[in-house]
Parts: sequence; structure tokens; C-alpha cells
Amino acid sequence: MAPRSSGKDKSLNDEDEVLQAVILADSFNGRFKPLTINRPRCLLPICNATLLDWTFEGLVLAGVQEIFVVTRSHSEQIKEAIQKSKWSRPEANLKITPIVTAKESFSPGDALRDIYTHGIITSDFVLVSGDLVSNVAIQDAVRVHKDRRKTNKDAIMTMVVRNVGGSNHRTRFVRFIPRGETGLFVLDPETSECLHYEPVPASPYKTHAHIPREILVQHPEVEIRNDLLDCSIDICSVEVPSLFQDNFDYQDIRRDFVRGILQSDLLNRNIHCYVVNDGYAARVKDTKSYAAISKDILSRWTFPLVPGANYPGETNYEHQRGNRYVPAERSTVLARNCKVGRNTLIGRLSRIHDGAEMISSTLGDEVVVGPDSVIKDSYIFDGCHIGRKCVIDQCIIGHGVRIHDRTVLRKGSIVGDGVVLGPDVTIPEFSRISTFPFDEEDDDDDDEEKVVSPKPSDAPTKAVLGAAAHGYLWPPFSEEEDEGADEFEDFENSRFLRLGVDSSELDLSDPGSDSDSDDEDAGNASDVSEVSQPTSLAPLGADGASVAEFLSECTQSLERAFAEGHSVDNAAVELKTLRMASNVPLRRVKEVVVSFFVEKIRIVDGAAEQRKEVTKVIGRWGALLTSIGGADGVETCAILQAHCASTPKHMTLFGPVMAALYSSDVVDEDDIREWHSRPESLGRDKPAVEAANMLKCRGVGSVMLRQFDEQEDDSEDSE
Amino acid sequence: MDSQVDNLIWKLRRRQIVGSRLTAIETLLVLRQYITKAKFTTIDQLIQKIKGIGARLVAAQPTEPVVGNIVRKVLHHIREEYKTAANKPGSSIQSSAFSLRNFVVSGQPRHQATLQKTEARDHLTRSRSDWHHDNHAESLKPVIMEAIQDIFDELETVYESVSKSAKDHIHSDEIILTIGKSRTVESFLKAAAHTRKFTVIVAETAPSYGGKSTAKALASAGISTFLVPDSSIYALMSRVNKVILGAHAVLAQGGIFAVSGSLMVATAARAHSTPVVVCTGQFKLTPLWNLNNEYGSADIENPDAVLGFDEGSLVDKVDVVNPYYDYMKPELIDVLITNDGDHPPSSVYRLIKEAYDDADHEL
Repeated sequence: MAPRSSGKDKSLNDEDEVLQAVILADSFNGRFKPLTINRPRCLLPICNATLLDWTFEGLVLAGVQEIFVVTRSHSEQIKEAIQKSKWSRPEANLKITPIVTAKESFSPGDALRDIYTHGIITSDFVLVSGDLVSNVAIQDAVRVHKDRRKTNKDAIMTMVVRNVGGSNHRTRFVRFIPRGETGLFVLDPETSECLHYEPVPASPYKTHAHIPREILVQHPEVEIRNDLLDCSIDICSVEVPSLFQDNFDYQDIRRDFVRGILQSDLLNRNIHCYVVNDGYAARVKDTKSYAAISKDILSRWTFPLVPGANYPGETNYEHQRGNRYVPAERSTVLARNCKVGRNTLIGRLSRIHDGAEMISSTLGDEVVVGPDSVIKDSYIFDGCHIGRKCVIDQCIIGHGVRIHDRTVLRKGSIVGDGVVLGPDVTIPEFSRISTFPFDEEDDDDDDEEKVVSPKPSDAPTKAVLGAAAHGYLWPPFSEEEDEGADEFEDFENSRFLRLGVDSSELDLSDPGSDSDSDDEDAGNASDVSEVSQPTSLAPLGADGASVAEFLSECTQSLERAFAEGHSVDNAAVELKTLRMASNVPLRRVKEVVVSFFVEKIRIVDGAAEQRKEVTKVIGRWGALLTSIGGADGVETCAILQAHCASTPKHMTLFGPVMAALYSSDVVDEDDIREWHSRPESLGRDKPAVEAANMLKCRGVGSVMLRQFDEQEDDSEDSE
Repeated sequence: MDSQVDNLIWKLRRRQIVGSRLTAIETLLVLRQYITKAKFTTIDQLIQKIKGIGARLVAAQPTEPVVGNIVRKVLHHIREEYKTAANKPGSSIQSSAFSLRNFVVSGQPRHQATLQKTEARDHLTRSRSDWHHDNHAESLKPVIMEAIQDIFDELETVYESVSKSAKDHIHSDEIILTIGKSRTVESFLKAAAHTRKFTVIVAETAPSYGGKSTAKALASAGISTFLVPDSSIYALMSRVNKVILGAHAVLAQGGIFAVSGSLMVATAARAHSTPVVVCTGQFKLTPLWNLNNEYGSADIENPDAVLGFDEGSLVDKVDVVNPYYDYMKPELIDVLITNDGDHPPSSVYRLIKEAYDDADHEL
């Protein structure tokens, strides 16, 4: 040990305690199928190093010295991989113990119960899942957690969350908080205690969160935050596994355990959050986040955890301009006129032939890309062979796949290990192809028995996958498949989590989902989301039938209000609701209201009498025009003018109504001037009779304005 | 023993040790312990072993050349000690074989150098055969340790030694511009402030903002300090008398790697004919050329500092590059102030020749 060591080591030595970590190396779901049929998810490579390697590195970075890897499916493979890796060499100074849980355990909760029965945890430990890519300084969180434990024994867990907020709320969900697995945190800003947690699925879209009232009673100040990215790194105390043991219905750590603890009156335990403001942490939870994290690694967001620096894999990469990574030993063969775009990584001994093009993709070791093929936003694992003139767009291609000439793979396809495709076929979007037939019964990826060699593909498959194909095209991703799974695994939610899914596309076909996904189109995001809200509610809003219906509803509502003497506010609320329900523009509502008012005014003889009548209606109800939204006096004037001009019997009412509106502050002098000066007030676009009436009305307006100019307030006089 | 080397490798990889001097000291400590415990019969064995360790350490953090420099320096000292011990009975020519004086005297430096190299190699092989069976090599350990202690002392006092000549370079009422956070520059300026009154303008050095802490340190030492944004460097340059920069590494042709922004400062200084002074310890002299880093940077960092997390949607649409170091060509530098006197960039090659052995350039 060098005498001058970094602060982290010192603090660990001071406490004289080995920091333990538990990795849940099983995904407990099948989002990566068919890639995970014969290898566990944590051994899938991301940027040519397995997810487990990235997780180990993240933990070692935090000073973890003892790691328990909880495995379920393919546990032998994981054990072997750990044994072979550099982590189990003595110099890594790391003690790794694989723990195999029973096949029956199918949730993180079960795994933790298993840990409890093993009795291996001796102190506070870090709990992560086996698909974490992180350079967050977990050691700080551990220190804070331990300090807190000294004073408060009930603080059993600290969740590490990354603050991704900022002024610009539209963008933050897009990339760093994956849709479909977000959460809402309610924190006490002083103690950073987590008071309430609410998971937010992508679908059905949630608009409300329920925060228990007691929280607000007990804590004078609370922060309600949805800008926190859950890093899925938890610092747990020893009793956490035992709590799982006591509460056998806890499955998910967040949704069951955290909520259970927070809502329980009996347990009386606290969970805290540790908000980090820098560093990167994300879980490869699904194919979509796989792609996002790959890109983040390549564009060095995870620095120094990047190829060429502290890369957890074995190969030593060299970083070149434009974030291109090639093996430092220069074992790749790049043809003279191949194009290697930005944000690319090429594995050892790979060959890219003439005219081939590669754009923000990763190639594994010993991959051959044939002449004139294009690989875009795709992730190709070791040993693949791609023929000439192939196009691969936003796909994940498993180990040892062979793609024959002129095969096109459309976006979102996932090709399992050992598949042969082509030649001359086009694989549709979101295909899943495997050498194993699709098996609906098999709800998981734990099938080591399945190593039996599969039957050759039958004729119809060959038509789709090509003459030389070897593999099965799985039925499209459908609702039936995930039947019975919980809310967060169901079809509606999971489909957001696939590679190549553009959520804005989905929204069009899915009125139930939220407008906030439109934010992905960064540019005009706000406009889009504003518009999409009403359209999704009433797509036929502009239709004649519904407008007519609205008109009658509206009139009826006003009739009721007049007859029963509702307050202005109540009437306004009713009108607003009507407007929302049938999705008509505000102006329409105003038109209805104005014409209704004018209709209501009894026409009597004598100017003074008439004025009285007008004041009766407008004085009582004029404020409604302002309350229904958009206090736009100019528009009101214009509407009034248009109405009076179209119904000759009301022509005489224009002046008095205008005056009454003025006196009840619905319109002011400036509004009238503005209206008067607008070209529309001349009514040129109207038929001749109406135009003449419009002009007459305008004339009345002119008289009013002249009166204003003379500082004679005629409405005062009329009172 | 290996575990210590590995420990250092991990720390270097994970960037848990940063800063040239700290890295140098850590490397030296590991090498010293290694040599203490090493078992070897011939000096070549030791050299090969240390070279092996050196190669691994360098590979762990290729952007920190100081690691390699320290290894080369240790090797150089081992060779020197061995040579003096071997040549005790006479022949003083070979002991001074690598000094510049010989090249100048002979007038044919290149020819001479190769000649002497082969001579030296002959010599080594010859002596190996001579001493193949005795334990002479291991008896050199104490002298080697002493030599390493010298390097250690040099590293410990490097800031003071560099600052020795500060008052000769900074005059009263001068305006000095600096950028970034360099302990060498900081102590240099503080040393000058003992005898001179001058003003320092510190550029904030986005996005790492090292300039801010430099400004703080200088101001608390009672130096009149201005902190300015990087964008105003050119505008201010006409008022500046001298630019003082720190270096991350000094390369063989006299160019330096320095914190990003330095190139802009130096270019602006060139436009105004303002002298550019680089303060650096000798341990940063690196027998390498800048061939690979065409656009100047040796280390591309996390783009987070340039484009934050909250700009999420932009990240897909722009490529953000956050280089940590600039490469400055020797033409932009007027003088290098080292702990071993002041040198123009053009004589760096000579310092390197003196400090390291030609055979160790490739580890």
C-alpha cells in the first residue's frame, strides 16, 4: 500500500469495515429476448464489455471490496465468466461470491430473501442490479448513510438518485429518465428523507399523484420531484433483507419495498435519498436504454469509464477524433474507402470492406462487414458476418449471426445468437428472430436444457428470412405475450422500452398516452404538446355535428344560469368544461355568449328605457365574458359587431351594449380604439347588407371614440 | 509486490490520482519499493523488469506522460550507477558518454550518438558476460536507492526550485496573464510577490474553471488579481506584459501540453508579441513527440461540463467534445522556467538527452 493513498481508501480503513455489495445479476424479465435465451442479460456486451464488467467497475470505483453476485438463470455461465475475468485475479483485491438462487424466485424480493437465508451480509451494503453503468461516487453516499445510521437507527436505506433537472423541463425525460420506469419522489429538503415514492408508468399515463396528508402535516417543507433519475443504487443496512423476509409479498424494491416501508405505520423505518449532481448512472433495463447507454459511453458521458481510459473490458481501445474507437493493437482491417462515422467502436480483428458504412454503431470482435453494407445505430456482437449490400438500421445482432448478401434489417429488430438470414430479403420492423422457436409457456430465459439443436426452419419462414436462413421469426411483440404480468411489465408499458421506438409515433395511435412524449421532437415540442392534448380528447372537434351540439349545450347552460341565477363564476366553469369537452376555440364560446346576451335583451322603445334593459343584462352577466378565459376586449367588440350586423333587429342594440360593456369594465377605451382601427371592423369580407351594417356599427364606435376624445364619458351620464 | 503496481495501475486508470507531481511521487514510491525487494543477478534483469512495470503503468494512463518519465529517470540512474561502478578502474570517456559536451566537441552529434550507443551496448553486454556469476549487480542497490532518493527530493522541492528565479522574470508594475490551475505557476507568482508588486489577470478556464481557484489563491496571498472570462483574453492581451503558463507535459521538440485554453492565450500573445513563459518541473520533460493528437488534445473528457444533463434532447443532435489539454507548438513559447534553470524550447531535446537514456525511450 502506498503511503499516500486517496481519501477514499483512508476513510474505508478508518472504519475498518469491508464494504459489501450485492449484485442482482438476473433481470427477472424477458425484455432482451431472444438475445437472452442462451446467455444471461448481465453477460450481454455493451461497447464490447459485458454488463457485469461495467457493474463491477462501477462498484470497485466506489471502494467495494466484497461482492455477492446473485444469479438465477445461466448461473454456471456467470460463475465461469466471473472466474475468468480480471476481477477474480488476486490483484483486483476483490472478493466475489456467486450465489445461486432457486429457479422459483422470480423477483428482486425473492433474491433478497435468499440473501437473508444465506446470512452473508454483515454490515451496510450496496445493492445494485447486474446491468448498471455508473461512475457516480457511491462512496460519498455510503459515508452519508453511515453517518446517518449513527444517529438514527431507523434510517435503513439510502437511494442514490441523480438530479437531472434544470430550467428546461421539456427535455429532461427524453434521454436520461427513460419513459416507462420513472418515479416521483417526495423529499424532506432538510434531511433528504424520502417521504413518498410513486412509480410512474408510461402507460396508462398518470396525471395525478396522491401524497398522503400526514406527510404535509409532519413536514413543514417538502420537495416534490420528478426530475430525479433513479440510479438503482441503494445503500442498504443489514436489516433490509430481513424486512424482505418478514414481508413475503415484497417483490420489487421500489414499488413494493420502498412504498411498503414508507406507508407502513408499524415498521417506523425511514428511507433517504442521496441526490448526486454529477456523474453518470443508468441501468440497461431494456433495448432502448441499451442503445442510449451505448451512445452515452461512446460520447464519453461516462468518463473515465470509456474505452481507451478506464474500460472494464479486456481490449485496449484507442480513442480517435470524432469518438471513434479502434483497438490499440490495430488489429482491425478497414478498407481504404469504407466509411466509419462518428461515435463508433470496432472490436478486435474485425474487417470492414470497401464501400461499407458504419454510423454510430458498435462492432464486436471478429466481425466482418461486407462491401457496400450500411450499419446504422446498430449493435453487432462478436463473430458476426455481414454480407455485401446489407442495410442494418437500429438493430441488435447477437453473437455469431450470419447475414447474407442484400439483406435489409428494418429498425428495432433483434436477432438472437447463431441465426442465419438472407439473402435478398427484407426483415420487417421490430422483428425478433432466434434459432429457438417461440415458446409462449416459457416465461423466462432460464433454459439450459434448450441447448438441443433446433429443427431446421420450415418453408414459410424461409420466405421471410431468406433461402439460406436458419432461425425462427417470432410472432410480433403483442399484448397476449405479457399477459398476467404486472402493470409495469405489460404490453402498453413495455413497448416504450424497445430499441428504435419513437414514442411520438406511438402517441398518434394511442390517445391514452401523454402529450409529454411529444417532447422528443425537440424543436416544436411545446406547440405539439399543447395541441395534442385537446385533439386526443376529441379528434372530431372541428366537426359540424359536434359544434352544433356544443352550441345547444352552451345555450342551455346559459339559459339555466339566467333562469336559476347562478353566480358568474359557476356559469364560467360550466362553459369552460363544455368548451374542453367538445374542443371548440374560445372565440366560438364568446360568440355564443355575446349573441345570447343580445338575444336576452328585450327591445323596448325609448333610448333611456332601452339602456336600462341593456344594463340589466350586461351589468349582471358582462363579467362572464372575462371569466370564461382570455380577457380580450378587442375580440369581444368584434364579436358584438359581427352579431349585431348579422341580425338587423339587434342593430340598434350595438351602441347601448357597447356602452354597457364599457361601463362594466369588460372592454375598455383602448380595446374599442384597437377594434375600431382594425380593418376587419370595416366588414369588407361580409355580404353587402351585413357590410353596410358593420359600417354602421363602426360608425357608432366612432361616435363613442369621439366622445372619449372629448373627455365626455357618456356611460357615466347614462347611469 | 505486484499488488502495489496493480494498485497504482488501478488508481491511474480510474483517475483517482491526478496531477503531475502527485502521479510522479506515487510512481516513484512504487518503483522504490519494487527495487528494494527485487531479486536480480544482472543489472539487465532489473532494467528489463522495471521497463515491464513502466510499460504497464504507462498503458494504464497514456495521457499522463509523467509516469513514463519517472520510470525512465529511474532507469537512467540505474544505468549511470552501474556504469560508474563498472568503470571504477578507469576509462572516464564512457561515463560521460551521453553529455552534450561530447556531441559539440565531436561536431557530429548524430553519428556520434549512434556510435556511442552501440559502444554502450557493447559495454553492457561485455560486462554482463564478465559478471555473469557474481552478485555485483545487487550490491548496487544502496546507490540506486540513494539516486532514487535524489529524484524524490527533487520532486519534493520542485515548486520552490522553479520559483527561485521568479523575481528575475517578473518586474514591478507588470501585468501578468495566466490560465488554469497550476501549483507551479501559483508558487512562482507568490514567490515573486515577496519582492515585487504586480497585477495578475487570471482567465477562468472554462469548463473546468481552474482559474477560479488560482485567482482565489493569488488574491489571498495579497496579489492584485483579476478574474476574467476566457472570451476577453484577446482583448486584454494588449495590456499584458507577460503570459505565464503551467504545463502538463513538455515534449521533446519543446512543445507542451497545457490545460485547454492555453493555446488561445499563447496565440493571442503571439499576435501582440507578448512573451510567453512556461513554468514546469523537469520531471515533465517527456521524450515523446506529438504525432497522434492531430487536433491537439491528449484527453477528451466528459461532455457534461460543456453540455449539461438538463440539455438532454440536444445530446442526440450535437457531438460535444470537451478536450482537457491543448497542444502548444514550441514556436509559441519563449522560455521554459524549470527547476534546473531557464531554457528555450529549442534546447529541450538536450535536457531530455541528459535526463534519460536513449535506450529507455520505448518502454
